[in-house]
Amino acid sequence: MGVLDLFRDGSADGVRDRNASAWLLPLGQDRVNHGLRADARRYDDTDELDAVIVGCGAGGATMLQRLARAGWRVAALDAGPFWDPDRDWVSDEAGSHGLYWTEPRVIAGENPVPLGSNNSGRGVGGSMVHYAGYTPRFHPSDFSTYTNDGVGADWPISYDDLRSYYGLIEGELPVAGQDWPWGDPHRYPHSPHPVGGNGEVFQRGAFALGITAKVGPVAIANGRFGHRPHCIYRGFCLQGCKVNAKASPLITHVPDALAHGAEVRPDSMVTHIEVDGRTRRATGVHYIRDGIEHFQKAAHVVVAGYSIETPRLLLNSASNAFPNGLCNDYDQVGRYLMVQGAPQTGGRFDDEVRMYKAPPPEVSTEDFYETDPSKPYKRGFSIQTVSPLPITWAEHVAGQGHWGHDLRVYMRDYVHWSCLGALCELLPQPENRVTLAEEKDRRGLPVAKFSYTMCDNDKQLIQAARGVMEEILKAAGATEVMTFQRYAHLVGGARMAADERHGVLDADCRSFAVRNLLITDGSVFPTQGSANPALTIMANAARVADRLTTTTSPT
Amino acid sequence: MVKRSSLNGVTPGGHQPRFPGFDVLSQTHMWDPITAGVVLARLGPHDAVRFFTPSEQAIARALLDQLLDQREDPKVPVLEMLDSRLVEESTDGWRYEDLPEDGQAWKQSIGALDKDALDKHPTGFALLAWEQQADIIQAVQDLQSDKWHGMTASRVWSLWTRYACTAYYSHPWAWNEIGFPGPAYPRGYKNATIGGREPFEVADHHQVDPLKQT
Repeated sequence: MGVLDLFRDGSADGVRDRNASAWLLPLGQDRVNHGLRADARRYDDTDELDAVIVGCGAGGATMLQRLARAGWRVAALDAGPFWDPDRDWVSDEAGSHGLYWTEPRVIAGENPVPLGSNNSGRGVGGSMVHYAGYTPRFHPSDFSTYTNDGVGADWPISYDDLRSYYGLIEGELPVAGQDWPWGDPHRYPHSPHPVGGNGEVFQRGAFALGITAKVGPVAIANGRFGHRPHCIYRGFCLQGCKVNAKASPLITHVPDALAHGAEVRPDSMVTHIEVDGRTRRATGVHYIRDGIEHFQKAAHVVVAGYSIETPRLLLNSASNAFPNGLCNDYDQVGRYLMVQGAPQTGGRFDDEVRMYKAPPPEVSTEDFYETDPSKPYKRGFSIQTVSPLPITWAEHVAGQGHWGHDLRVYMRDYVHWSCLGALCELLPQPENRVTLAEEKDRRGLPVAKFSYTMCDNDKQLIQAARGVMEEILKAAGATEVMTFQRYAHLVGGARMAADERHGVLDADCRSFAVRNLLITDGSVFPTQGSANPALTIMANAARVADRLTTTTSPT
Repeated sequence: MVKRSSLNGVTPGGHQPRFPGFDVLSQTHMWDPITAGVVLARLGPHDAVRFFTPSEQAIARALLDQLLDQREDPKVPVLEMLDSRLVEESTDGWRYEDLPEDGQAWKQSIGALDKDALDKHPTGFALLAWEQQADIIQAVQDLQSDKWHGMTASRVWSLWTRYACTAYYSHPWAWNEIGFPGPAYPRGYKNATIGGREPFEVADHHQVDPLKQT
């Protein structure tokens, strides 16, 4: 590759040599390489694959691409569609309902966590189709919170085990942002995006208070990247990027996987993992496609259905050998499920902010991420711009108790508001978990019930984050602030641990109970930090794929 | 040349005090056709009410008019939009353990609203005067997390406002009212700074801090 090509393709670290996805998308106005999809390999159910992957989001698609590159015969089954951004996605809030996993689920506990639109994806690309695009790294301290602070848990791996994979994935997405001073200081492959009104407000308030705020890190290419066009700053990141500017595995890993012989099998709901009771090895997965039941044979089963569906699938895969659910001999499946406390604070300005006019992810601070010994609580929070569109904003306003005339008056004032969101590190607790409900879905499978209750440390963190956001907005000149309580992101539920009494998986994300069953989604996290999880899910999946392909040969 | 008609610049209730002349539909030629199809369908004819019984329909319409302060025509057809969602079981993907699934929770809660009305008045909820309806609704909100007819009041409140706001603020007439231009693909934005406006956006002409008006 010549020097000129480096400038043209937007990458300077040889991304194309290890992942050509961005160059496998079409140039011009189409977003899908239909020929690549049509010509992709199709396996038979009776072919014994080297690996079958359940779920084609952040964790599944990264595995698919890595294993395909290593010469493995591999297919990813996804319950949802193989999205075509041109045909399936709209530049509209309510019309994007189909991007979310909206099959029935039950929520319980003292602080039940709403699911669906905010944290549950559907189809190829997973939740990254509708995530904001923030891709911060975890801090080194996240991997040993128990040793450091006596809370949470220690991971069986350290930050150093992930560092090189963070760099690789940041190149492949690619990530744009300013030089990052927090955690393990690092740089980003793309320079920071210009900011809109909401980002300006955050920068102004933070500067006035002496808080460090940085632009990024956002997985939106700044400039053309491969055949992906430049962002058009239209503000609908959470509705699926019709531009192909915001990264999701649909465009960052699936094309390269297909080009290397992998299969993506959409609309295929895996219902049950089959295990040989004598050898205690997984033999494949049962799935339903268009009403027909199938069984796909495979030498490895890799589950990446995210923190609700992964535990549900294991629990629904009970058998004589595993009467309490697969890999659940020690009652660990579904436990230690986490969400981040994610209060959002709006501030009212006399100027028009029109926060809908730029990507919601713009500016963030991690000044409050680490444990502050002067505070009564452990661990911390991050703060980021969020820019709710009208329906979500109306939920915020209604959440303040406004209705009728008051609601309409506040909503007519929409263009004057700015909004920040916090991500608070709520702690993993054993009773925050997925179990099976009595209720069945339309296939007759028990649905997931997710119970969640906060501890005192959690509540203190959320209160502290709210205080800081309100101060920032007031320092920027807000005449009124209002904070709406909510949650964001799911992780945990099938965590890595030192042994089978404390978790489901070993450090290589193989299950303790069934050695050829791996899990590579966010459910493997023992703690969550105050970082959006997507980048770490992908980096960990890339690490696990390396471990798997160096310790095991394809058939 | 975009032809203007009586469909252009409509706001719920027919008032436009803040963004005079702002018209989301003046930009439909800039939208991608898939998005345009989805958004413009909200302006077209709606399916007949199928989920609610006639008496439930009357209560639900009165409740939704109250929650969104829709007193005069033209009204965003929120009841029809809600009814379609409930027929299609297009839920948000979860329900509280102590509430039934959304459709049943709607039926149960508007039935309870009618009982409250009949406890205090000679007629059901739908036929009460505006202020009487408002008092009954306010009493439900005031219960917060206490029980109301066996349901957690705050969760019923969240169900009502979630569905009501999702329908209302998905409608181009509501966007005209709040100055939001709606779909932005493939056009995007060029002036995303504080105080920045695109040529098709209209400045706020009657700025009112909501704190001073609510």
